[in-house]
Amino acid sequence: MNLIRKQAWVMGLLGLFVALLLVTKLIQPNFGVNGLESLARAALPFAFATAAMAVAVIVGGIDLSVASMMAVCSVTAAVLMEGIGGVPAITITLAVGTLMGLINGTLVVVTRVPDIVVTLAMLFVWQGTALLILETPGGAATPWMRNAITGSFIVPGLPNALIIVAVTVAAVWIPIRRSKLGLAIYATGSDETAAFRSGVATGRTKAMAYGITGLFSACGGLSLLALTGVGEPVPGPYLLAAVASVVLGGVILGGGVGGLLGPIIAVFILRIIRTILTLAGFDPNVTTIVEGTIMVGVVMFGAFLVQRSRRQAA
Amino acid sequence: MTRFLTGAAALAMSVAFAPAAFAEAHGGYTIGVSNTVQGNGWREEMICAMRAQALVEGDVTDLIVAHRNTDSAGQLEDLNNLIEAGVDAIVLNPSGPDALNSALETAIDQGIVVVAVDAGVTADGAYILSNNQEEYAYLGARWLFEQIGGEGDVVYMRGIAGVSADTDRNNGFQRALEEYPDVEIVHEVFTGWQQDQGKQQMFDFLATGIPFDGVWTSGIDNVIVDAFLESGAPLVPVVGADNAGFVSQLLEVDGLEGAAVTNPGSVGGAGIALAVDILNGDAPEDRTVLVDPVLWENTTEEGRATIEAAQNPDLDPEWPVSTTIPGWTDYTLEQIIACDGPGQG
Repeated sequence: MNLIRKQAWVMGLLGLFVALLLVTKLIQPNFGVNGLESLARAALPFAFATAAMAVAVIVGGIDLSVASMMAVCSVTAAVLMEGIGGVPAITITLAVGTLMGLINGTLVVVTRVPDIVVTLAMLFVWQGTALLILETPGGAATPWMRNAITGSFIVPGLPNALIIVAVTVAAVWIPIRRSKLGLAIYATGSDETAAFRSGVATGRTKAMAYGITGLFSACGGLSLLALTGVGEPVPGPYLLAAVASVVLGGVILGGGVGGLLGPIIAVFILRIIRTILTLAGFDPNVTTIVEGTIMVGVVMFGAFLVQRSRRQAA
Repeated sequence: MTRFLTGAAALAMSVAFAPAAFAEAHGGYTIGVSNTVQGNGWREEMICAMRAQALVEGDVTDLIVAHRNTDSAGQLEDLNNLIEAGVDAIVLNPSGPDALNSALETAIDQGIVVVAVDAGVTADGAYILSNNQEEYAYLGARWLFEQIGGEGDVVYMRGIAGVSADTDRNNGFQRALEEYPDVEIVHEVFTGWQQDQGKQQMFDFLATGIPFDGVWTSGIDNVIVDAFLESGAPLVPVVGADNAGFVSQLLEVDGLEGAAVTNPGSVGGAGIALAVDILNGDAPEDRTVLVDPVLWENTTEEGRATIEAAQNPDLDPEWPVSTTIPGWTDYTLEQIIACDGPGQG
């Protein structure tokens, strides 16, 4: 039942996304491969931030430092790339991201202070760290990294940025999810005490989950660097957007339920809404209200559908 | 439900976009605007100046404004959306000099005119119309150091770390500082160009009791004077921008010595005017146009007269009082305050 409900949610989101694509096409008949491509590129940092947040939420926590970790990773990579070239810089950055996540997770587990408090504190710590590494936007991205996310040459017709998100997230998440760690993450998220009594090392599981959050944040930071070509020490608006996409994507705040596919489709939905509002020339002071209203509307409508199907099943 | 929404949206859009469809020939331009700081008086004046100027330019039929708080990646997204919307020109306040080049170069390749206002971009073929930020800081800092007798401690209240306008201003400030080796920075903070944050920072510093002789602000100015008055601290010379609230304080607050350096937000309107000129085939020879600031101080009769002339009670206290740029903007004061652009009814 749970599985059906979750898949139904993802299918519903996909349907909504396709409908919004059609609306875009109606507003702007020229919207085509180029438009899709810039949409996918714009979604790139949001998608990784959302994947990062989703893992933390699934394990029963929340990570408010996602955007700050992205900033640290973006400046780290930007500085390293000038010195040691692309591949080593990317490897080190991914390790740095994972390490930051593990630090967050370990602090949560060891101090027993609520996740929201620890990661809020770490938000400021990582924000300051990013400014220490690079005071003003600077550094550089290797050209091949910038080219990799542009165009659609890997699979004709599909934007590269989309493929990169799909492949990266799948390569990290699917093996983990199928392993013991994945089971432990979901078990810890559903009921920490029950999981602990069943023999799950909940502390280690949480720390590992935060490590994955850090790894995805590093991917987000790298995608920011690839997009702009410079490392930016000031965190962008990714924290709240990630929480919004996670909720819209069917992950329940509280943990144990949901996957990564739904939240990532939700990212694309929120991005295309932004595109539509720009194309339609909406008053910019109204657009955020519209975005928020649509989000609440979709989540409420979904909850209503779920409730009704439950009542019918009962 | 979805079909209904799609249908309704299609209907609404076909009505809204009917005029744009005929915008191909001479005139009838659609201009896109991109800005990444919302809710700041200077930026709001810039947006209103853009709308007002687009309204009075006969050749502009539509203005699409992407105006929100975001980072460079978000501005890239907005710029790509504007390109998708088929605009003829983009006028933007860039979040950074290099970060936006991929979108700007795409736009220029497609024949879209790109004008950056307030700060520069490095994309080939882009036009830049900017206030001279380095000179802005240098003028104010030099006046302040002169005013405190060439020696003493100053509080240095900057904007946002890493933003190019802040970096340029810092260069100008440091240049002035080198000329006055006996002046020390006793406290340096980033206000984030937010009124509440800057005021709190001044309260915090006043509470420490560390003495200082002057304050240089990057435009968060009237709340700094308020902080002095509310905490009863003795006033020291303050340098700010030509924001309406600060300018009136320069005239009305007893014992306040200060100077306002002009930094017109109306440079946005000038950017629209420049974009239309270029679209009509009248491009300037130099791709970079700098608007130089001037300094208004209240310690001489002459200076007070200048300030009095510039003051305007109708303006929002956070707006710069220099609402027009002679030779560039054509709108009236009523039009910029109304803040209506073309295609908005």
